[in-house]
Amino acid sequence: MKQEIVRNQRIGEEYLRVEHSSGLTMLLYPMKGFSTSYAMFSTKYGSVDTCFKTDKDSDFVTVPEGIAHYLEHKMFESEDGDAFEKYAKTGASANAFTSFDKTAYLFACSDNFKESIEILLDCVTHPYFTKETVEKEQGIISQEIRMYDDDPGWRVMFNLLESMYQKNTVKLDIAGTVESIAKIDADLLYRCYHTFYNLNNMVLTVAGNFDPQDVINAADKILKPAEPIHIEKKIEDEPTEVARKRFVQHLPVATPMFYIGFKSPNAGERQNFCNMIFDEMIIDAVTGEMTKLYHDLYQDGLINGGMVGETMAGRDYLCSMISGESKDPDEVCCRVQKAFEQAKQDGISDEMFARVKKSTYGRYLGLFSKPDSIASAMSNCYFSNVDIYELIEIVANATKEQLMQRLNEDFSAENSSLSIVMA
Amino acid sequence: MSYPLVREHIAQGVFFSSITDKKFKYNRISVNLIVPLERDKVTDRAVVPFILRQGSKRCPDFTKLNQRLCDLYGASLDAGIDKFGEYQIIALGILGIDNRFALEQEDMVKECAELLAEIVLEPDITDGKFNEKNTELEKQYILDTISSEINDKRTYSLVRCKDIMCEGEGCSIKKYGYKEDAQKITAQSAANAYFDLMKNAQIEIMFEGCGDPTPAKEIFREKFAGIDRQPVCVKNYCGKMQQGQVKEIVEKMDVKQGKLVMGFRVEGVTDYKKMNAERIAMALFGGTANSLLFKNVREKMSLCYYCAARYDRTTGLMMVDSGVEPENAQKTKEEILNQLAMMQKGDFEEKDIQETKMFLKTALKATTDSLGAMDSWYLAQVLGQTEVSPDMEIELSNQVSKEDIIEVVNCIKLDTVYMLMPNDEKEAE
Repeated sequence: MKQEIVRNQRIGEEYLRVEHSSGLTMLLYPMKGFSTSYAMFSTKYGSVDTCFKTDKDSDFVTVPEGIAHYLEHKMFESEDGDAFEKYAKTGASANAFTSFDKTAYLFACSDNFKESIEILLDCVTHPYFTKETVEKEQGIISQEIRMYDDDPGWRVMFNLLESMYQKNTVKLDIAGTVESIAKIDADLLYRCYHTFYNLNNMVLTVAGNFDPQDVINAADKILKPAEPIHIEKKIEDEPTEVARKRFVQHLPVATPMFYIGFKSPNAGERQNFCNMIFDEMIIDAVTGEMTKLYHDLYQDGLINGGMVGETMAGRDYLCSMISGESKDPDEVCCRVQKAFEQAKQDGISDEMFARVKKSTYGRYLGLFSKPDSIASAMSNCYFSNVDIYELIEIVANATKEQLMQRLNEDFSAENSSLSIVMA
Repeated sequence: MSYPLVREHIAQGVFFSSITDKKFKYNRISVNLIVPLERDKVTDRAVVPFILRQGSKRCPDFTKLNQRLCDLYGASLDAGIDKFGEYQIIALGILGIDNRFALEQEDMVKECAELLAEIVLEPDITDGKFNEKNTELEKQYILDTISSEINDKRTYSLVRCKDIMCEGEGCSIKKYGYKEDAQKITAQSAANAYFDLMKNAQIEIMFEGCGDPTPAKEIFREKFAGIDRQPVCVKNYCGKMQQGQVKEIVEKMDVKQGKLVMGFRVEGVTDYKKMNAERIAMALFGGTANSLLFKNVREKMSLCYYCAARYDRTTGLMMVDSGVEPENAQKTKEEILNQLAMMQKGDFEEKDIQETKMFLKTALKATTDSLGAMDSWYLAQVLGQTEVSPDMEIELSNQVSKEDIIEVVNCIKLDTVYMLMPNDEKEAE
């Protein structure tokens, strides 16, 4: 077992990084004065992983869409009862979620931390499902999928991803479809489990009111050494061009909802993550509330409810999305694209650069203010091979030249799509 | 155990409350204007915070205002409307990093408080009118917000059920107001609503964070000093009783999943101790992933993804909702009632109570770790005229017995069943 203290001078904090003998990396961030703790056990496995093999498998397997999420639901069961019942005895509030490239199991607690961390480690390392228990879940997940089918905010975003990406599996719905999940059985779930729930492919992050030694003790007690694993994922080359420039779905909404997307070149997992921070700053500088674009859109009655920008990065994708509600989404899209082109020509002013840097710094400091946000950020960073403190340093040391380079490479009207949901 | 919130009377009908803890990195200040929900005034009042958020007399330009916020390390200035029982809360708040993280040694508490005070007390009003253009745009925002109620089908169904259930009661008045009234908003009517709020609202200023609240308090004390006020007094709400026959309503829309909402009235639970018992009872019934509804309706019968109960102590309403296949709606409803009946008979274990109390303890402790959650918690204490901290609530919960729970669960009466169902296939074609 290897231990290392990681410090940051700027905010005057530190955390403990443990390479456990089982193969699991643990990032432990005790926080003075807090009453609760938050633990997150994650595997680098999400909805994008649909075709893969390990060094021990002879051939690739293609699995039904939505299987990572289905597996997440089934991990709460074990031979001696379900995990929620066990957590109920400790008072912890437990949950789990599946994203594009990660599945995470988590709990928040105020007392009985030792018991809860043991339940978490035990539950995620001991799969148990039978034909019957797998079938039982179909009804529950089908209703979850139906709920999202009726959610215009969810639809407008996924329609955008489907419009931007031609091959990349990031375009698939995380929960799959009612039809795809019907093909899932216990054997397939076990194959996915044994591939991705290997401790070398996972991370445990804990933040808040707890003693790191309790986590190490629980890991010593419960985790068995995992064999080193090499997972190969079959990834199709993604063309630079978007699949379609515009897509409209009709659902009962009051004002049309829009998502404008810019598809950026893939620079590899770590670099995508770092570029994400610069791209967020650029979105702020070009479309934020203090810009001329925002002022004009607002004054012309095109964005009454505001406009939000975000950037999403993963193993082989990077894209920026600007969303809101508008009576004329096409006009908004046209003006947003023009504003980026204009910024490329004119450059970002020193004044604007200083502002964006300050406000992004303030926002990133927020990541360090609560146990849940620290634990989540550490997990996200880990899988992209970034240290959590790098985030705030990247912002604090950002230069205008870096931003201009990203602006030129990541925001092109040509590789942009518009998704609309309207009545 | 002492109550940690310090509340001070700083001007006529204006109170400044603060709670500080060094562990935080931010400070949050909010100004809450509290008035009774009045059908004819609610809409004009609802637009006020959004117009104020556009700029002040000194800084009327929205773009410049946002540049100032960026310079304050991206401090966020938020405007909002909320509801507490029969009261409307018009709120403006600012969240900024603490002085010790400022890269250029700015006094963040002072600067944030000054900006917020300027927004609230020095509005861009000329000749008794707000800026015409801003009013027009924010009026459209209110109209859009009112009509976008249908976007989220789960919330929409809950709201529809409450509307039908509480028709004619103060608590059913919409916090954003009404379309027909929003269309009549003018720069003058909105400014009048602002003057009326400044004169008549009870004003609660809340400060939560790690910094020293004194500069903020002094800024507001000074700014409010010259204002002549006749503030209303917030009283506790007394809910209506169930009126005999259960109302059953089915509505249709272009949706894939059906929504079932059951509205219950919790009768005669008015003292804090009983409300606390009701809170535990509702969590045990349908508030956790180990609750009776979750274990039976979802896990055992696989009828749904969510089936949850929530209790609002300010109105005495309990709402249960679930997303289901249309053909399962009746079966789901029967099972929910069956679980409630079992609970009313005392058919649950001591262990279930203990587990629910522990779960609630985690939630209450988490309140003390979040500035936003503390803001809501302590504002509710102030408005409900109680002085209970999350830690004190945990102590109170520990005293609740099984008998207490059975007693309060038997105060629950089904009032209204609302279902939102997909259009018939024939109609859809």
